[in-house]
Amino acid sequence: MRTALTLLAFAFAALAADPAVIEKGMKEEQRTCVPCHSLRIIHSNRLSRAGWNKELDKMAGWGTKYSDRDAILEYLVANFGDDKPVSPPELTTDGAAKK
Amino acid sequence: MQANRRQIFAAFLAAAAARKLTAADGVTIPGKRPLILHNDRPEDLETPVKYLNTWVTPVDAFFVRQHLPRPSAIDPATYRLTINGMVSKESQITLADLQKLPQHTVPATLECTGNGRAFFTPKLPGIQWARGAVGNAEWTGPRLSDVLKLAGVDTAAKFLEIDGADSGVLQTPDFVRCMPMEKAMHPATLLALKMNGETPDIHGFPARLIVPGWDGTSWVKWVIRLTPTAKESGGFFMNPGYRYPKYALPPGSAPRPAELEVIEGMPVKSSLTAPEDQSKIALAPTVIRGFAWAGENAIERVEVSTDGGAKWQNAQLSTQKLPFAWRLFNLNWTPKEPGYYTILSRATDTAGRVQPFVPAWNPSGYLWNGIDKVGVTVEKV
Repeated sequence: MRTALTLLAFAFAALAADPAVIEKGMKEEQRTCVPCHSLRIIHSNRLSRAGWNKELDKMAGWGTKYSDRDAILEYLVANFGDDKPVSPPELTTDGAAKK
Repeated sequence: MQANRRQIFAAFLAAAAARKLTAADGVTIPGKRPLILHNDRPEDLETPVKYLNTWVTPVDAFFVRQHLPRPSAIDPATYRLTINGMVSKESQITLADLQKLPQHTVPATLECTGNGRAFFTPKLPGIQWARGAVGNAEWTGPRLSDVLKLAGVDTAAKFLEIDGADSGVLQTPDFVRCMPMEKAMHPATLLALKMNGETPDIHGFPARLIVPGWDGTSWVKWVIRLTPTAKESGGFFMNPGYRYPKYALPPGSAPRPAELEVIEGMPVKSSLTAPEDQSKIALAPTVIRGFAWAGENAIERVEVSTDGGAKWQNAQLSTQKLPFAWRLFNLNWTPKEPGYYTILSRATDTAGRVQPFVPAWNPSGYLWNGIDKVGVTVEKV
């Protein structure tokens, strides 16, 4: 049982690390998320696999149609998982003079 | 044909967004000085705490929270506010009608419900606000009660539904909120036409709801409809959105929908603005600064510790002790020797509520009000 679980975990990690899947997920993110909002809101979050899964469900409920939901999930977990460091804050440039 | 057009439109939007993204470090928000960029479309901008050292926060430094894309610019001449539902006469109110009503100014602190979300462990989805999704402004406009009287609001109405002009993309729900009529009729609840004397579109003008002491989500922007009702109405931004557990949950656990309650008044809280967290300062006299507020109450006391909480001292408070608006605090401090210091601030309000060491973790990361903490390295000059 333990060996089977270990093998399963390995298989999972291998899948998660597959660069082709990650790249597909990145393209999927561009295609499905960008029409409604920019990507910073996604990339500033650090969530577990369960957390990202829930976000994908929420967005599907709001009308997002994924062509490859698994790829986008793998991409999010690989890049913005809760084990990843938080990016330093980014500032806007000065727009105070422009109204 | 329809699908094709939609696809082309989506591709166009994606291309436009991609262009914007390539200019990642060049995002400029007209009318705003450099702010912490959480998102640019729609705009979610946090105020660096160094701009929060004045009692009135300038509009160009004030944080911005958008749930949905900003509506296209509203022409003041054609703006209409619909009042319908439990009223004696359904009405279309113009901006001139609102300007004719008695104008009141209320200083009040506006804080995003999720301010401080970044401090919760485990992490939560949403904008990762730290200290700066908060500001204090002077809001001017007619009382909401006077506006409702124009349409003859039914005294049997128990709730007020409020709709803003912003609307969601695809099936993203519309931003509609609902509050008990008692708060809507409170003399400090305004339909503001000015913020510090200005009318910035990004903050919801020509008409923006001011709900002093309540969470930012209640302060609906670009108000276009008011509907008195008998029952509390729903919509995503009332349920499940913006609810807080009635009973505290173990960190990381799933929400219990039946035990979630609508958030109303805000808790007691203080935040440190100087010295800056993880900065280096000289071994010399310095001033510890910050602000404190307490929802519908006023601030009674702020204590500061420079030794990680072993000893506490009362800070000096700014003189105006008002409900709804923050008080600034400061404490002169001369570190005795070089080294790393942990500075804490703890507020107490007029109702005796005290800022806790550990605020309750909750599944949406709302209402962070933990004792504030900054670290500073004092070095010999």
